[in-house]
Amino acid sequence: MNELEFLTWVRGPGMNIAVSIFVLGVLWRLFEIYSLGRKADLAPGRERAGASGWHTIGRRMLPPPGMVKRSPVSYIGGYVFHIGLFLIVFFFAPHIKLVEDIVGLSWPALPSPVIDAVTMITLAAMVAVLIDRINHPVKRFLSGFEDWFTWTVTFLPVLTGYLAVKHLGLPYTTLLSLHILSVEILLIVLPFTKLFHAFTTFGSRWYTGKIHGHRGVPV
Amino acid sequence: MALADIPIQAMDGGLTGNGRALLIEVADRLARFAAGGEAHVIDLSGLPLSEADRDWLRRELGEGEVHVRLAAAGESILHETAYSGVWWVEHRNEQGRRMSEFIEITRVPELLLAHPDDVILGSERLNHRIFELD
Amino acid sequence: MPESERNPLIERMAGEGISRRAFMKYCATLASLMALPAGAGRAMAEALTRAARPSVIWLSFQECTGCTEAITRSHSPTLESLILETISLDYHHTLQAASGEAAEHAREEAMKQHFGKYLVVVDGSVPMKDGGVYSTIAGISNHDMLMDTVKGAAAVIAVGTCATYGGLPKARPNPTGAVAISDLVRDKPIVNIPGCPPIPVVMTGVIAHYLTFGRLPELDRLLRPRAFYGETIHDRCYRRPFYDQGKFAKTFDDAGARRGWCLFELGCKGPVTYNACASVKWNDATSWPVESGHGCIGCSEPDFWDAGGFYRALSLPADPLKGMAAAAAAGVVVGAVVSVANRARKAEVRAGHETATLADLDK
Repeated sequence: MNELEFLTWVRGPGMNIAVSIFVLGVLWRLFEIYSLGRKADLAPGRERAGASGWHTIGRRMLPPPGMVKRSPVSYIGGYVFHIGLFLIVFFFAPHIKLVEDIVGLSWPALPSPVIDAVTMITLAAMVAVLIDRINHPVKRFLSGFEDWFTWTVTFLPVLTGYLAVKHLGLPYTTLLSLHILSVEILLIVLPFTKLFHAFTTFGSRWYTGKIHGHRGVPV
Repeated sequence: MALADIPIQAMDGGLTGNGRALLIEVADRLARFAAGGEAHVIDLSGLPLSEADRDWLRRELGEGEVHVRLAAAGESILHETAYSGVWWVEHRNEQGRRMSEFIEITRVPELLLAHPDDVILGSERLNHRIFELD
Repeated sequence: MPESERNPLIERMAGEGISRRAFMKYCATLASLMALPAGAGRAMAEALTRAARPSVIWLSFQECTGCTEAITRSHSPTLESLILETISLDYHHTLQAASGEAAEHAREEAMKQHFGKYLVVVDGSVPMKDGGVYSTIAGISNHDMLMDTVKGAAAVIAVGTCATYGGLPKARPNPTGAVAISDLVRDKPIVNIPGCPPIPVVMTGVIAHYLTFGRLPELDRLLRPRAFYGETIHDRCYRRPFYDQGKFAKTFDDAGARRGWCLFELGCKGPVTYNACASVKWNDATSWPVESGHGCIGCSEPDFWDAGGFYRALSLPADPLKGMAAAAAAGVVVGAVVSVANRARKAEVRAGHETATLADLDK
């Protein structure tokens, strides 16, 4: 199989398989989680201003007091690479084109040099977070295969995407194929690993806030 | 949209310094030729020269006494530069587009010389013509 | 000057209004395009005007004749087809005067007379299905004619994407079982000149190189001459600054397109295509697809016909995704089934719940 055939495969059957498994997996897990439901809370409501699901989502955007000083790399690095991933995935012109092709929506892109800078910062932040996880004894103790694996499948698309746009290392056709392939791997494992937090975080925070709000406690 | 009509700032609008490097190479080859060495041809198309570099080099080498217009499958312009023995050769096609460009270090570019076979043919034709006129 | 000493090629060219100097100029440009040393142009002119005209047999198989058209109908037809003057084209369906049995006989004679020294140029793919009946010449299948003709060949030049990779006949579902020449010819020097069609000067450049130096130019992994196929279209595209800045035309003839912006979003395959269109251009360096406002379709790459829609950008799936609705439905179903199982498990656990007593702690 030559380079162009490989690229055509990852853009063709590979993409179909990966996106199908992704869609299937996401809907399955969402259905599974939300169908569990919650026990009805029969206590009388003690709602207070500032205590609700939405408030919790807002409050949890910021780190708890004192935590940044205790674990700066986790928090700063974490914020940087999450925001970076968001900008790269949703504001780079070729990616917007892809979303437009699949669901029909589109929006303005950021200038490519801006995405370029964001990518370098994101890569650096991800490496910093990894090094911190390795160096900090408790974090290392708590880390298992899934943690290293999910870091890798998230890092590779950013790295291969950057190399492809810059035409660095291997011929472009191969770099583009590797980038698309790495994204396909990410899509397949996302619904079945901790990466699924992409879909559950905000729902989870909202519920937590709602439940505690009913008790009159802002969290 | 033709290249000339696009209102962009060309990234290589400036000098890269390769013009000067080439000038030094020309000087070196000219010195060797002057000392009895071989003639030499430098192909400008394959070199990393920006348009600005090319213009700079052309201005730097200047123009001498000889300026030749060769009409063969489009125009070719050969001119001696201000330095004897250094010739600038530009080949254009029938549409006037530049096809290739060379700097030749030689007494006279070989393209200008009449080929021995053509001379013999010319001689036959001339004699034939004189025969016709009589 | 005795007849035998006159150079027949020069005379023939003079008859068509091409002077010796015009030919030398052409050879100088050709050598420059192939990145040969500056003096090679002169060597080329001398070699090509030698009295001995090497025999060339041109085999046309499953092809559209576009490659022959390209090499003979470039804007200065006499200069490009000059190469045809420097060789003895002993067999060519479209260009030869003979036909029928006489033509096949001419081919066999040429092969016999110049055994081991003739060049074989091939355009078109070879059908292999059903014994190769889908393309035959004089009752002989393409496969048989090819294997027979290359026996005494000094080198084989596969011209056009059909001959180099299978091309259009090989596109899905490949009903004739088309294969490339290099899939069949294994024991002869072979060069691939892909393109649909290839740029004329690329074809003539390779032939000229062979005639001058007696060997094929430096080739890459896919047997393409590096001089012309060493870089991608994207590497030399003049619209590259726009790509780097993220300025893309959204549709044909929109404001961005009129300003010459990058055609990535319109499906340009320039980044994955190796050819010389961006530097050598077409029609005597007049223009080329991107300069005319249309994205590259990747016509010099293997299986480009099956590489997805021409107007679908490289960041898109090759063709629109299929089966998403089915996957979504399947996901909901699986989720429902798993939920039911989960609830059953929860009920079971609750029913089976036993209150712990002090006695349990002693166990």
